[in-house]
Amino acid sequence: MDLILIIGGYAQGKLNYVCQNYHLQESAVWDGNLPEDRLPLGDTVIINHLHGWVRRRMAQGGCPEQEIHAILARYQYGFIICDEVGNGIVPTDAFEREYREQVGRLLIMLAERAMAVERVICGIGQRIR
Amino acid sequence: MMVFVIGGSASGKSAYAEQLAVSLAQRTQQKKYYLATMKIGDEESRQRAAHHRELRRGKGFITIEQPVAIHRSLETMVCGEKLALLECLSNLVANEMFSEENPKPEELVVQEILASISLLNQGLTHLVIVGNLVFADGILYPEPTRSYLRAMGRINQEIAAMADKAVEVVAGIPITVKP
Repeated sequence: MDLILIIGGYAQGKLNYVCQNYHLQESAVWDGNLPEDRLPLGDTVIINHLHGWVRRRMAQGGCPEQEIHAILARYQYGFIICDEVGNGIVPTDAFEREYREQVGRLLIMLAERAMAVERVICGIGQRIR
Repeated sequence: MMVFVIGGSASGKSAYAEQLAVSLAQRTQQKKYYLATMKIGDEESRQRAAHHRELRRGKGFITIEQPVAIHRSLETMVCGEKLALLECLSNLVANEMFSEENPKPEELVVQEILASISLLNQGLTHLVIVGNLVFADGILYPEPTRSYLRAMGRINQEIAAMADKAVEVVAGIPITVKP
């Protein structure tokens, strides 16, 4: 599977950047905050709010770092959009700490696998790998 | 020319923006204005403003306190070639959104600030705008704060699109986002 990873802070225009820059249809978007039965048909998936999916699966007792592989295996082309969540004070709440850990580890793993990694700031993408 | 300078807190973005403003203005001997957006209400903000003013001393900036409606700062400027350094966008957005009893709607804040900055830019030779990168701490804030972050995120995107150049400052090092 060909994978492109797009990261950046909250409200930076990441989805808009991905759709415009790669000429993709919004119909290929799956919002990570929605259930898995809403995954799009076809050979391309744009996973938006990956961090939201991680949070939700963790709360449900799942293991996002393993489950992601099964989702990606359904598609030929994948675009994953995720907020950067680790640039704040380390939270005192254990779940919140673990959430940032899991998002961070998942992004490292996905970045290694991706053909390209882009970081979006103020709506502008920078290829960082 | 319009330049957008962004960075985290204490990243060195202010020092970089000042330096940039000084070097841009030197070429044409322009008047340099510093548009201060912080609302001065208590002793702490007074001290902070005095400290910043001290840091800028000798660089030849004329300070204009303009916490809202940033284009109105043009009324105080003399005619001719001029440059303004607007610091910073996060205060301006907060002031525009939270000055009344109830927060002003996100969409209205975005449109008003963009129109205001566009007017300001038209009246100047050079404009340097300083913005804050506060979007990556992963905290799910309550709605007024999220609305503020979304408004600022959109304004940042539009300003970056409008600007001739956008630079992120990290540990005092300028990284070009938009060449």
